[in-house]
Amino acid sequence: MYRRWLWPGFALPGVVWLIVLFVVPFYTVVAVALGTVDPILFQPVPIWNPLEWNVGWLNEVIHRLGPGGNLTDVALRTLQYVAISLVLSLLIGYPVAYYIARLAGRTKALLLILVIAPLWINYLMRMLAWVNLLAPDGYVNRFLTYTHILSEPRDWLGGRPSTVILALVYGYIPFLILPLFAALDRIDKSHLEAARDLGASRFSTFVHVTLPLSKVGILGGAVLIALPMFGDYYTPNIVSGAPQTSMIGNQIDLYFHGGPQPTIGAAITIVLAAFLTLLMGYYLWTIHRATREARTA
Amino acid sequence: MARGEIRLIGLTKRFAEVTAVDHIDLDIAPGEFFSLLGPSGCGKTTTLRMIAGFEQPSEGRIILDGTDVAYTPPHKRNVNTVFQNYALFPHLDVFDNVAFGLRRAKRPKNEVKERALQALALVQLGGLESRKPSQLSGGQQQRVALARALVLNPSVLLLDEPLGALDAKLRKTLQIELKTLQREVGITFIYVTHDQEEALTMSDRLAVMNGGQVEQIGAPQDVYEDPETLFVADFLGVSNLMDATAQGAHDGRCRVRADTFELAAGSGAIDVTGPAKIVIRPERIELESREAASGPNRLPGMVERLVYVGAAVQVIVRVATGDALQVLVPNTGKSLPYQQGTPVQVHLPVEALRVLVADEAGEAGPAKDAALAEASGRD
Amino acid sequence: MSSVADASVAPRASAWGRFRRWLANPWGRPRFLPLLTWGYVAWSIVPVLIAVQFSFNATRSRTNWEGFSTRWYWGDPVDSVWHDPTLRNALVQSLKLAVADVVIATPIGVLLAIGLARWHGRGSGTSNFLMLFPLVTPEIVMGVSLLLVFTEVFTFIGTGTTAQILGHVTFSISYVVVIVRGRLFSIGRQFEEAAADLGASPTAALTRVLLPLLMPAIVASAAVVFAISIDDFVISQWLSSGGETDTVPVKIYSATRAAPLPSTNAIASIMMVLTLASITLGFLVWRAFTRGERRAGQSVVKDMGALEI
Repeated sequence: MYRRWLWPGFALPGVVWLIVLFVVPFYTVVAVALGTVDPILFQPVPIWNPLEWNVGWLNEVIHRLGPGGNLTDVALRTLQYVAISLVLSLLIGYPVAYYIARLAGRTKALLLILVIAPLWINYLMRMLAWVNLLAPDGYVNRFLTYTHILSEPRDWLGGRPSTVILALVYGYIPFLILPLFAALDRIDKSHLEAARDLGASRFSTFVHVTLPLSKVGILGGAVLIALPMFGDYYTPNIVSGAPQTSMIGNQIDLYFHGGPQPTIGAAITIVLAAFLTLLMGYYLWTIHRATREARTA
Repeated sequence: MARGEIRLIGLTKRFAEVTAVDHIDLDIAPGEFFSLLGPSGCGKTTTLRMIAGFEQPSEGRIILDGTDVAYTPPHKRNVNTVFQNYALFPHLDVFDNVAFGLRRAKRPKNEVKERALQALALVQLGGLESRKPSQLSGGQQQRVALARALVLNPSVLLLDEPLGALDAKLRKTLQIELKTLQREVGITFIYVTHDQEEALTMSDRLAVMNGGQVEQIGAPQDVYEDPETLFVADFLGVSNLMDATAQGAHDGRCRVRADTFELAAGSGAIDVTGPAKIVIRPERIELESREAASGPNRLPGMVERLVYVGAAVQVIVRVATGDALQVLVPNTGKSLPYQQGTPVQVHLPVEALRVLVADEAGEAGPAKDAALAEASGRD
Repeated sequence: MSSVADASVAPRASAWGRFRRWLANPWGRPRFLPLLTWGYVAWSIVPVLIAVQFSFNATRSRTNWEGFSTRWYWGDPVDSVWHDPTLRNALVQSLKLAVADVVIATPIGVLLAIGLARWHGRGSGTSNFLMLFPLVTPEIVMGVSLLLVFTEVFTFIGTGTTAQILGHVTFSISYVVVIVRGRLFSIGRQFEEAAADLGASPTAALTRVLLPLLMPAIVASAAVVFAISIDDFVISQWLSSGGETDTVPVKIYSATRAAPLPSTNAIASIMMVLTLASITLGFLVWRAFTRGERRAGQSVVKDMGALEI
C-alpha cells in the first residue's frame, strides 16, 4: 500500500540526528580518553584511529580507581550511597506503589497525580526546598530543638553522608514508584484470588504471588534510578559542599571544570559508562530470561 | 460488461516459511453472494486481503471484470471492504465516515450529501449522522461500515467476518438483512466467516478452505449433503465419522465393512477399496426398536445420552462397531420411545451413507466422537 | 498460639498493643499502608510547598516567615525576578531553549516514531536501539560527550545557545518517539487500510486519517518536551558559555550553593508553574481528543501510561 522506502525515509532525519549528535559525541569521548595531551597548551588531543589509541590515561584512571588509588574512596562511596539510597527507596516506594495500585480504591487517581507531580517539579527546586529546611535556622533544626531531640541545631548541610542519602532518596524515589506502580497495577486480580482460594493467607499471597510477579518491575525501577544516580554530582554539591561526600560524578565535573584535565575526565566517564553498560546488560539479560520463562509457562 | 466478476488464478501468499494461501483458483460470478468458509488460519482472510489490496500475492492473478488487479494499490481498485471491527474513523462522525470515500473521489458537495444520506437510509440509520462511532451500538457501527463501503458503488464488496463481534440474536437478524441487502443492491459479496451455519444460510455458493487450499466449492446444499473430502464433511455440521474398509462398487453402491458389519454406502467415492471413512448426517439416521424387522444397513446400538436442544433432541447412540453416533430427532412434542440405556436398532439409509477417503497426511480433520460435538456445529 | 491456660488471662490493654492491632487491622486492610502512603505524599510535597510559600516572604530570610509580599517576584527593584537582569535573562533563555526544542524535536520525533513502527527491513532494529539509548544514558555522560564534541569536533558551534538547543533536542527526540509510538500501536493499521480501501491515496491516508488520530500524542509529547527542556539542568550547564546562556535551573543551582535569596524560590516557583501547566495542558488535550474513543470507565491515565518502550 505504501512505498517501501517511505518508512525508512520517515526515520531518516531522526536517525541522522542521533548519529551526529549522540553517537559521534560518544566516540569523541572515547577518542579524547584514549588520546594524548598537548604538553604545551595542556589541551586534549583526540585520537580518532582505533589503531593508534593511547591507553596511558585510561590505565592511569583505572589505577586510581583501583585499590590504593586516590579515587578509590570516591568510587566505593558512590557505590555505597547508591546502594543505600536504592534500598531505602524500595522500602518506602514499594509499599506506596502497592497501596496505590491495589488498595487505594477511590483515592487511586488522586494519589497517582500526587505521586507523579514531583516528577515534573524541577529537581533543583526540590533540593532547594530541603536546603531551606535544613539550614541552621531552618524548620528541621527548629523542630528538633523544640522537641528536645537535639540540644542545639545541627549542621546538616556541612558535609554529612546522611544528608546526601536523604537528598538522593527524596530526589529519585518518584522515578521508582511509577514503574513499580505500573508493574503492580498490571498484576491480574484473578492470580491473587486463585492463591487465596487455594488456601494462602494474605501475607503468603503477597510473598509467593505478588512479589515474584512484580520482580521485573522492581528490577526495572531500580535500574531506572540507579543509572542516573551513579552519575549524579549536583545533589552532593547542593546539600553538602564538602569533598568528603563527593561521588564519582563530582570527580568528572572537577576534571572538566575545576582545573581542566578533560582527558582524565573523559577516561573516568568511559569507565563509568562501561560499568553502567554492564549493569544494563545484566538487567536486559534478566528480563530476557524472565520473558522466556513467562512464555513457556 | 460484467460487473463484479472475480477470478482468482493460482493465487498464492507466502509469509517467510508459511504458505498462507496455496495456489487458489476461484471463479465468482457477478452478483453472487459467495462465502469463504474455514477454521482460523485456513487462509480465507489473507485471500480477502489480497483481493482488497492490503497484501500483495506471492504468485497468481486476481482478475476483476477482465483486468488483473493483483498489483494495483487498494485505493485504485473498485472493491470495498467491511472490516471485522468496522474501522470506523473515530475522529469523524457518522456522516463524515460515510462521505469519506466520496470526498476522496472529489465528488461535488451536493452529490456527496445526497449519496451519503441515501446510503445511511439503505441501512436504516437515518438520523444518526452527527453521532460519533463510539456513541453507537455494535450493530449500528456495523451498518455504518456497510453504508460507507456501499456508497461508493463497488463492483465487489468484501466482508471480513462482519458479524463476529455481535451477540447471537443480533447476528441472526443481520444475516437476513445482509442477504436481503445484497439481493437488492445486486453487488457481488465475498463473505469471510468461520461460522458454517452463517455460510450455509447466506451464500449462493461457498468455498470451504483448509490450510491455504480450497477443499470444495459449491452451493450450500451440495457442500453439506455431498462433502467431497473428510475435512468438509467434518467441518460442516456433525459428520458421524466411522472407520471402515471399502470393497469397491457393487450395483452402484460401495460395499463397506465397519467392524464386523457389512454396509452399503450409496454416495461418495463409491469405487474405492481399502481403508476409508463413512459419514452420515445426524438428521438422516433412523432409530428403530430392537424388535423391529431387521434389514440392510442396520446396526444394533444403545442410547447413551439424550441432549435437549430446543427444536430437536440429540440422541447419542453407541453402536456395535464401537462408534458413538449423534442422531438428530426433531421435537414433535411427543415423548420419545427410548431413554438412556434403551437398546435400539440404528438404520443408516443407503443413500445417506457416504464413503470418503482419508487425506494423504492421515489428518482427516480431528477424528472425534460425535458425542463430543455439541449442538450447533463447530466453529 | 493461645492455650487453655492463656484464655483465663485478660489480653494486654497497653496503649502500644492496641495501637499495633489497630494498625495491623487483621480483619480489614492493613492500616499502615495508607498511613505510609499519605505520609510519603506529604513528605514529598510539603517541602516544595514551604519553598513556594517562602518565595512570598516579606524579608530576605528563607527560613523565617515574616509576612506576605510579592517583592521577590516584581516588587524589589534590585533583587526581584522582574528586575534582576540575571534572573530575567535566565527565564528568557530557558523559554528560548524550550520553544526551540519543541519546534525541532517534535516533528523529527513524530516522523521517527512512525518510521520505526512500520519499518521492518534491515537496519530497523539497530535504529530502534539507537533511539532508546538516550533514555538510559546518564546525563553526565551525555553532558561530557556533547561538551567534547562541540569543543573538539564541531568547534564552529562551540558552547552556548546553539549547542544547548542541539543538546536538548537530542535527548528529547526519544521521549517523543516513545509517546507517539504508544498511540500508533493502539491505533493499528486498520484505519489507514480503511482509508485506502475507500479510495484515499497514501498521502491522503496519512494526512487525513493517521495524523488526526495521532494528534493527542503529538500534543502530549510537545508538552512533555517543553517540560523536560525547562527543567533540564545538566546539559544546559555543561553546554553553557556562562552568564547570558545560563538557564533558570543553572541559576538556581549556583544560588543554592552560594547565598539563596527568596528570589531563587520565586523563580523556581515560576518554573514549577510553567512545567505543571504544560503537562496539565498536554493531559487535557489528550483527554479531549480521545473522548470519542473511550468507553465509559476507561481511564485516561492508563491510556497515557501505555508507553511503548
